[in-house]
Amino acid sequence: MSYAHPEVLVSTDWVAANLKTPGVRIVEVDVDPKQYAAGHIPGAIGWDWNKDLQDQVRRDVPSPEAISELLSRSGISPADTVVLYGDASNWFAAYAFWVLKMYGHKDVRLMNGGRAKWLNEETRPMTAEPTPVSRSKYTASAPDHSLRAFLPEILDIARTKSHNLVDVRSPDEFTGKVIAPPGMTETAQRAGHVPGARSVPWATAVNPDGTFKSVEELKGIYLQNAGLDSAKPTVAYCRIGERSSHTWFVLRYLLGLKNVRNYDGSWTEYGSVIGAPIEK
Amino acid sequence: MNHSTRTYDSVLDLLPSEHNPTPIVRINALAPVPGFTLFAKLEWMNPFGSVKDRAAWEMIQDLEARGVLSPQRPEKGLVEPTSGNTGLSLAAICGVRGYPMRAVVPSKVPAEKKMLLKLFGAELDVVSDALCPLPGSEDGSVGLARTYARAQSDKYAMPNQYENRANVAAHVRTTGPEIWRQTEGRVTHVFTTLGTCGTVTGLATFLKQKNPKVKIIAVQPSPGHDIPGVRNMLELEVTRLYDPSLIDEVIEVDFKRAYPTVAELCRREGLMAGPSSALIFEGARQYLRREHEAKRLPVAEGGAGAGVGVMIFCDSVLKYMSNLAKHLPQIAEA
Repeated sequence: MSYAHPEVLVSTDWVAANLKTPGVRIVEVDVDPKQYAAGHIPGAIGWDWNKDLQDQVRRDVPSPEAISELLSRSGISPADTVVLYGDASNWFAAYAFWVLKMYGHKDVRLMNGGRAKWLNEETRPMTAEPTPVSRSKYTASAPDHSLRAFLPEILDIARTKSHNLVDVRSPDEFTGKVIAPPGMTETAQRAGHVPGARSVPWATAVNPDGTFKSVEELKGIYLQNAGLDSAKPTVAYCRIGERSSHTWFVLRYLLGLKNVRNYDGSWTEYGSVIGAPIEK
Repeated sequence: MNHSTRTYDSVLDLLPSEHNPTPIVRINALAPVPGFTLFAKLEWMNPFGSVKDRAAWEMIQDLEARGVLSPQRPEKGLVEPTSGNTGLSLAAICGVRGYPMRAVVPSKVPAEKKMLLKLFGAELDVVSDALCPLPGSEDGSVGLARTYARAQSDKYAMPNQYENRANVAAHVRTTGPEIWRQTEGRVTHVFTTLGTCGTVTGLATFLKQKNPKVKIIAVQPSPGHDIPGVRNMLELEVTRLYDPSLIDEVIEVDFKRAYPTVAELCRREGLMAGPSSALIFEGARQYLRREHEAKRLPVAEGGAGAGVGVMIFCDSVLKYMSNLAKHLPQIAEA
């Protein structure tokens, strides 16, 4: 059995064969941007999640103008195939995927296994040379907020249990032992989880080599073990919305669940709201 | 070079060998059991301050012999993932040889080591420890160092202490023969830790060849430990140098016990042993007491003890003050 939307996933072999294919743009997005600077896939552009994929003033995804500028200076046109990859099994690559989909880019894909898989394959080329880019003119459409959940809905879901709610953080964050992983600057005032949320840490969805598990395994994890009801809409959240983009990708594109959204406000927002109900 | 007058032309002449061994010092006040002679091998007496001088020197000599590094091509140097000490030894030797050096260290490495690496001229990349760990991933310090070596091979070679057989060869050539000679062939037990496993695999290879009855005891910290530079068995997948057939027993010690033992070794033996050395001592103490009670330790004719143990005291305490401040807060009080 194959994934519900296998077209959004490409292999390292596919990327190696398409390094110079016109209309294919490869973009690296890492948790740690030092990785791109040290070396990347030849021809890949590097995006810094903190500078390029966040609004620089308010807490939000980038504005349509900012996304248009990012894609234009990256030489990406609306008809291009954008292949994203990154460290931590594509955490932030999946977040970039979510942002691009929200802004209506048609053909976005993830390189299965991310940068670690490429690096582990000894013959794959890497370079530290900057990638020359010819500027394009990209005008992003208005964001499609149907991919995104906001706080009032989460408060409603906590009360009504109308949705599957998936908490993809580590077990210690879910149980409230810690508010955030050590050393993280983005944190909340309180620890715990949204009432009714199921704990399925993001890494449950990947193999040791960083590739996604098979559709049968993913069904076992999310539908059987975690008990998500495929008839209900689903919201995934984490701490700041990046790990949950990864799970959002799995649920929406690999398992093909309908109506899956990412709550990018996530625990840093929810765990700081006065009066919001919390379970531990 | 003259070891008898200790007059040298270069600091590199101080690097250890069978004829210039690091000292072994007998444990007296804290001797765990009567009749068993236990020595600490003071690896912090190496010129760059730890057991890692041995592997670093062997790996650089190997790269030079293979023409990967050459003083005639000083633009090419090294990149290495390190918890600090290997990087420090490599940086110091590279400095003397004229090679650039880049060290990739996990953020949990003590501040003292990061400062020392920079002091010795290494460029430093600090990599966040796993935010939300993914077992087996190539992210982190090893991945970043491998990226440099792949993408910038004109600038960097990666010795990779976790896979480089020269790391083992260093201990076959130096640590093993030193111990054999210093104990006049009487060594019965060696206590060490697991990390890259170069030390344990190398010295065990040599000593078991000399005497197959020599017992090699590896001491590991409890899972989730805070002992820089050593690994629990659960963390060994990163290394290719681990050979369980050479290890007679692995003793697990609650890592928190190592910190009060640091103070005990300083106060009772005058040994400024660091946390990993204290962990080894704690493991040796537990092992020897257990074996003594079971009457399994070697006995000479006439009933006297014949056991001779050597503990590899990897590093001194000086680079671990920030760890000590955390685990022995009374030491940090003004």
